[in-house]
Amino acid sequence: MPKQLVSLIIDGQSVSVPAGTLIVDAAKQVGIDIPVFCYHPKMEPVGMCRMCLVEVGRPVIDRVSGQPVIEGGKPKIQFGAKLETACTTPVSEDMQVVGMSEKARTGRKEIVEFLLTSHPLDCPVCDKGGECPLQNLTMAHGSSESRFKFDDKQHQKKHVPLGDLIWLDRERCIQCARCIRFQGEIVGDAVLDFFRRGRATDIVTYSEPGFDSIFSSNTTDICPVGALTTADFRFGARPWEMNSAASICTHCPVGCNTTLNIRREARSDGNMVIKRIMPRQNEQVNEIWLCDKGRFAHHFSASPDRLAKPLVRTGELVTESSWEEALNLAARSLVEAKQDFIVLAGGRLANEDLFNLKALADGLGGKAALYTHMGGGYLTTLAGVSMDTNFGEMGAGTSILVAASDLYNEAPLWYLRIKQAAARGATLILAGARETKLEKYAAHVIRYAYGDEAQTIKSMQKSKAGQAAAEALASAQNLVVLYGSDGLGLEGSASLAEACAGLLDMTGHAGKPGSGLIGVWPHANDQGAWEMGFQPVADLAAEFKNKLVYIAACDPVGDDPALAEALKSARFVIVQELFQTETTRLANVVLPAQAFTEREGSFTSGERRVQRFYPALPAFGETRPDFSITASLAQKAGLELEGTSALLIMNKIASKYKSFEGLSYARLAEVREQWPLVGRGDIYYGGAIYANTQGLGTRLALLEAGSLPGTKPVESKRPSESELLAIPVCKIYDRGVTVLPSTLLHPHIGDASVSLHPDTAVRFKVQAGSTAQLTVNGTAYQVKVLVDEKVPASVALLPRSMGIPINTPATISLKAA
Amino acid sequence: MSLTEKYPQEVKKILAKYPPEQKRSAVMPLLYLAQRQEGYATRAAMQDIADLLAITPTDVASIIGFYTLFHDEKEGRYRMQVCTDLPCALRGADQFLQELCTNLQVQVGQTSEDDLVTIEEVKCLAGCDKAPMFQLQGENGIEYHENMTVDKTLELIEALRKSGKEVK
Ligand code: SF4
Ligand code: SF4
Ligand code: FES
Ligand code: FES
Repeated sequence: MPKQLVSLIIDGQSVSVPAGTLIVDAAKQVGIDIPVFCYHPKMEPVGMCRMCLVEVGRPVIDRVSGQPVIEGGKPKIQFGAKLETACTTPVSEDMQVVGMSEKARTGRKEIVEFLLTSHPLDCPVCDKGGECPLQNLTMAHGSSESRFKFDDKQHQKKHVPLGDLIWLDRERCIQCARCIRFQGEIVGDAVLDFFRRGRATDIVTYSEPGFDSIFSSNTTDICPVGALTTADFRFGARPWEMNSAASICTHCPVGCNTTLNIRREARSDGNMVIKRIMPRQNEQVNEIWLCDKGRFAHHFSASPDRLAKPLVRTGELVTESSWEEALNLAARSLVEAKQDFIVLAGGRLANEDLFNLKALADGLGGKAALYTHMGGGYLTTLAGVSMDTNFGEMGAGTSILVAASDLYNEAPLWYLRIKQAAARGATLILAGARETKLEKYAAHVIRYAYGDEAQTIKSMQKSKAGQAAAEALASAQNLVVLYGSDGLGLEGSASLAEACAGLLDMTGHAGKPGSGLIGVWPHANDQGAWEMGFQPVADLAAEFKNKLVYIAACDPVGDDPALAEALKSARFVIVQELFQTETTRLANVVLPAQAFTEREGSFTSGERRVQRFYPALPAFGETRPDFSITASLAQKAGLELEGTSALLIMNKIASKYKSFEGLSYARLAEVREQWPLVGRGDIYYGGAIYANTQGLGTRLALLEAGSLPGTKPVESKRPSESELLAIPVCKIYDRGVTVLPSTLLHPHIGDASVSLHPDTAVRFKVQAGSTAQLTVNGTAYQVKVLVDEKVPASVALLPRSMGIPINTPATISLKAA
Repeated sequence: MSLTEKYPQEVKKILAKYPPEQKRSAVMPLLYLAQRQEGYATRAAMQDIADLLAITPTDVASIIGFYTLFHDEKEGRYRMQVCTDLPCALRGADQFLQELCTNLQVQVGQTSEDDLVTIEEVKCLAGCDKAPMFQLQGENGIEYHENMTVDKTLELIEALRKSGKEVK
């Protein structure tokens, strides 16, 4: 129901806004900036800093009649004796707000003066200098000289680590509590708070292990001073020295919009480097936030392992070669292989790269496969979400089911936004084999044993907890189902997808706007690959045998050393990569690719939003974009593909794939005004977040759903008494090739570990914290044992991408090392 | 020993006073209980309270930080908390505090050599008209001492010292 409109006058301008709007926001909507420090449009107002003082006049009400007193045909307005805070005062009919008067200005000037009595004013060495709300508002409202005795200045600790990623400068803190409220209200992890009072107030954490939230770095954007800085960027550069380029985060399927800040750096031989990654506003995707992985795991594009030139193998000898030589050799082998070849593509590739790879496979008669452990994606292309779904707007009437996914680790921003949706009244239902962080906000939790995923969804009504959940699903106006691969391999996740799609169908939500199926993919652009018809293959080793294998942007041998033998049995191996990997070491030809930071392209997020990214850095060495490498190779093999421009490939994608119809780079670059307004001169309002000027992206169209396929039963693995079932799970900071080069994350990555229920640990005679020997598929690994009550009995949780190959549940043996 | 193990009855009684969905309100009485024995709340006690009330230890700590009634460090057996807020200052509380400290040879915030009293400066204790005044926080709870002079206070400290010895 739309809220009633209220009309008022702010500094002479008439404004009509919904009832309940705060004066500060109403003013913003007509372009009037009321200065704030503690207020933030994404959080509840607290009225702590008093910077937003204004004069407020209200109509005088006649006590007898209860009606406004009219004077000269207009309601008589009476102004309060004191200034009021615009950030806590909601508008009311016929209100008059004056922010420009001498009285209001004096009020603000005094507040700034108070704030500065305890402030070090070390702007010349402060990271925030140049984009600092306090600096700007002091220029605008402050006094030009200080009346405070210098000797009375407080001196506080300037380098306080709150966690290992965020530092606090106590002197600079103006006690606005934005950081505290962000952690408490938005993240739901109240690990920061004030300690003591008055001038002694300090920001502290008493939690173990400190300020260790995966969203911690957002506080550095919204801190209105340089009190909070990241370990990555601290003392790294001044804001005005850096250039920026719009980009997309490639670490998970959310597809957060980012801005890369780059600068030429003496320490990097005068090369351009990424200094930091900042959120770029997209209210439908990441709002104004990023997770710490997205912000800090960017060092891979400058990794010393980057490949600069093509490599060619003759016998045992690997030598650098020219592009011409490498491509000729690869193309010759491709022609010789006839149709006996397979293209294996990773979900890190852009839509344009995938399109060319698929076109090459189709054009020359080979097979194109997606390298992933998670299946069922074709269902998201049929029953996925479309235009109208936005986690940021979901509330009462929407049910959200999350099945077999630990969103906190797998897709952090979805975690954050779904938590918020639940707070607004959406019904959250979690189906999982173990407790995950999001469960705290769920209305219904359905617990199953690993292996029963699909069955649980299909027969939800049969359990007691399931029944209530099933009703909430059936009666929901909109139903969004997210499914993941917690404890699932290719087969298991595909069958879970079928069950979830079936549920959407059965409840009448399939194909409806506002509803749909979302895959929580392991990679940023798996969705794009599915949309273009890529399919995973069950048995890679069998696919490699005697074939020409063309691998792009994935490292199957690094993930599973057992595949080395299989790859050796291939007739020829072409690998297109950023780095030297275990897979490139077995290649006949290695073709060096550009990182996404060096070129343009687009990704398709798990919510089926296609978004563009732009080049930020010059190309590394002789690298080329993936799509153009594939096009050159195709051309030499007798097939014409577009290889010069990503834009032209997008046009081809749009004409070939129905769901991409009408898409173009120009459409993807379109922007609309978003609320709250951020990234303008008034950084004090929303923070140092970048405005979106280069594209909000576009959702793919929903295909005619037709009939969805039924579910095939999958055999669930059940361990015997003496066995242990290893369950693959996801850990946000893993040893993936794009994460590991960021050394500051190493304390969070840690060593390969296995988590057990205390009883299981006792049964296998291993102790918490000790090292054990774990044998999977005949290979033994050393792992650290973690013991946790929340782990189901008789299984061992084994994080993926931590050095132990585990794609799908497998029986293992475990003993003390 | 956890707080619940140490004071099972008291914890139960305190929790019973608040509706379960607002049990976090019990943080103050629980903190007061936690510092009964040692005069301060240990990190372990903060964690216990956090667990009992389903809040974070940081939430608990911030309450300690906010109220001068709660402490997170071991100090003297007694805390003598002198109000020096404006009304008390007008009745000479500032000077009283200074002279008291000189006599005891400590500074505000410090503890006497024999670990008997810690002298602290606090905000209004609602005894404004009877300043100089302070509250004495010790193992027997809180006592108000109003219309005090330095001499009377020194006598009080002497008495505390003696009674402490007798107990030993
Ligand atoms: S550290 Fe920054 S965000 Fe946090 S209270 Fe201080 S000024 Fe505000
Ligand atoms: S939530 Fe995902 S897309 Fe967003 S910043 Fe984090 S890893 Fe990147
Ligand atoms: S009091 Fe309004 S912005 Fe701080
Ligand atoms: S001002 Fe000291 S008790 Fe009130």
